[in-house]
Amino acid sequence: MSQDRSETPRADCLVDEEGRLTATVRLPGAAHPGLLLRPRPKKGGPQEPGHRLELRPLAEHHWRAVLEPAPLLAEGRWDAYLLEGPGDEGERLRPGLLDLRALQRGRTPGRTPTPLAVRVPYTTRDGFLAVRTWLRAPHAEVDALRVRDDAMTVRGRLFGARLADGATVRLVRRGADRAVRESPLHHDGGHGFSLTADYRDLLDERGTGGGGRPAYWDLHLHLAPDGPRARVGRLLDDVAERKSVFVYPSTDLDGTPVRPYYTVDNDLAVVVGGA
Amino acid sequence: MKISFLIHNAYGIGGTITTTFNLARALADRHEVDIVSVFRHRETPVLTPDPRVRLRPLVDLRHEEDHPDRLRPARVFPSAEGRYGQYSALTDRRIGGCLAGSDADVLVGTRPGLNVHLALQSPPHAVRIGQEHLTFDHHSPRLRTALRRAYPRLDALTTVTEADAAAYRRKARLPGVRVEALPNSVPDPALPPSDGGAHTVVAAGRLVHVKRYDLLVAAFAAVVAEYPDWRLRIYGGGEEHDRLRTLIEKLGLYDNVFLMGAATPMEAEWVKGSIAAVTSDFEPFGMTIVEAMRCGLPVVSTDCPYGPAEIIADGVDGRLVPVGDRDALSAALLGLVRDDEARRRMGRAALDNSRRFAPGPVVAQAERLFEELLAARASGRPAAPGRTGHVLSGRGHAAKDSALVAASGVLRTLRKAGR
Repeated sequence: MSQDRSETPRADCLVDEEGRLTATVRLPGAAHPGLLLRPRPKKGGPQEPGHRLELRPLAEHHWRAVLEPAPLLAEGRWDAYLLEGPGDEGERLRPGLLDLRALQRGRTPGRTPTPLAVRVPYTTRDGFLAVRTWLRAPHAEVDALRVRDDAMTVRGRLFGARLADGATVRLVRRGADRAVRESPLHHDGGHGFSLTADYRDLLDERGTGGGGRPAYWDLHLHLAPDGPRARVGRLLDDVAERKSVFVYPSTDLDGTPVRPYYTVDNDLAVVVGGA
Repeated sequence: MKISFLIHNAYGIGGTITTTFNLARALADRHEVDIVSVFRHRETPVLTPDPRVRLRPLVDLRHEEDHPDRLRPARVFPSAEGRYGQYSALTDRRIGGCLAGSDADVLVGTRPGLNVHLALQSPPHAVRIGQEHLTFDHHSPRLRTALRRAYPRLDALTTVTEADAAAYRRKARLPGVRVEALPNSVPDPALPPSDGGAHTVVAAGRLVHVKRYDLLVAAFAAVVAEYPDWRLRIYGGGEEHDRLRTLIEKLGLYDNVFLMGAATPMEAEWVKGSIAAVTSDFEPFGMTIVEAMRCGLPVVSTDCPYGPAEIIADGVDGRLVPVGDRDALSAALLGLVRDDEARRRMGRAALDNSRRFAPGPVVAQAERLFEELLAARASGRPAAPGRTGHVLSGRGHAAKDSALVAASGVLRTLRKAGR
């Protein structure tokens, strides 16, 4: 009888309010073990070098590594490997208990360093430990979203910058068929904002993205006409993959369904047409 | 002692698997323990058994799905059992062979059909213990009749609640069989408990109708109306998923109520909440109630048969509300949402009061039971005195079930004839 699963090393992870990640691994017998976070390469891209952390003895058979808030990790997905010693290729770690309750408390714009760095440990589909990271400056965080009267209204907060008059929201249609819709942004002169996207503005002459295929619109805040822009997304809790958990209602517009959704990167988008 | 558990499928996920693994782990401190899984459908179990506990499958569905004996019906495993369709001549033979050759001192069955195997096929030296993880009343009259016939050959039958033990004593008539409630245990949590501060209600279980998450979502609408920053997270998967999603949309709760998918272990998820909710129409035990309490959450639960009222002290470490009563559920949730101090106080009480379900006390009770039964078997004494007092009422229930079985047999015949 194989006992793979229980013998595979597991890491308990704790993330605190500053984003510090503490990993504890039970490991009988090791000399100088390390924990390697290896960035998952983009499709067709090269394997970048990973970020190695020292595992220090904590108690008998227990080792601990701490990923401090600095240095910042690039945005993406990092697979966790256990290195038993120097020169070791590494073995993928499985998740133990992931104590992410501090992430649920969110962040406050005025008291959060820029760029905004987010780290959420999670379990990959095949059962291994990985860390989802975001690095944004500025970032527009969705706090609430309502769908009503053929439109969606988003309430949120801007991190890493202040809002001033002239700020707008732009919806940009993805792909070769690029198109832009711009509308004013309501803000409180500080970090709070609200925006309304009228679904009818997203219908073109063919109803959708053309050819019956759905069209996808991404949302950005533009702080000034030529100023920096912030992607609108929802990053500040413990949910690494939001798409199937935060599901918004679909609105039927003369036979064309329109629905806000979160992308695989937890950014907000609107899909027009399709199923 | 050498202790062997017999379970339907240890490689999946579910309350019986969890509680069997928990008990096996705790017993493994002092005893030799193995778990025999009738079926195996994947390489590694979803839940992790203790490395000291040997796991042994009898039928590997990955290679033996098409075994010719799987087409021949089971004769030992009772046909009235819910899982009968998965059992066959092959399982009869493998289980029978495994039991006959077992050198375990104590054999423990974990569902009615397997308890019947144990009753009929265990070697003479072994103590036979049937575990009931559901309830007597929940079974069909046909199954109850089959159990009345086979269970007298058990040494003991354990139920998960006192209420169900009482039902077995009153209605099953098992002279010489010791009937005792042995609650499920929940391991000591590794994480610090919830601090009661999060504005999150957590529920967990399979998304099936009996769990009544529809009622929970509807009741939570009243919480959101008053406290829009409160969230409800429901963990689990199942056939009700899409219906619940539709209900959440219909009530406009898509930014407050979340279907999180299955999570194991749940411990890290419980501690993110400050209240737990159980809204079932029926809970043979209520494992999630104990899990949540052990993480420091007060639990708002329906007072359904049988478990909740034996776990929760209403108003002390949680709330009990009538089954199916949405308004009562809303009121109980709101009571705890509104009152931070009461929520924290009841959370602390939940932490204290749920220690009786720690592996320590539960495994001590199991060990005592096993040892007494072993001693009785060695000396040739019956495990429990043949009871005479309840025989008449037991006979009454047996007669009623026989009549129901006969009547349903007639109905089936009529239905077949009508086709």
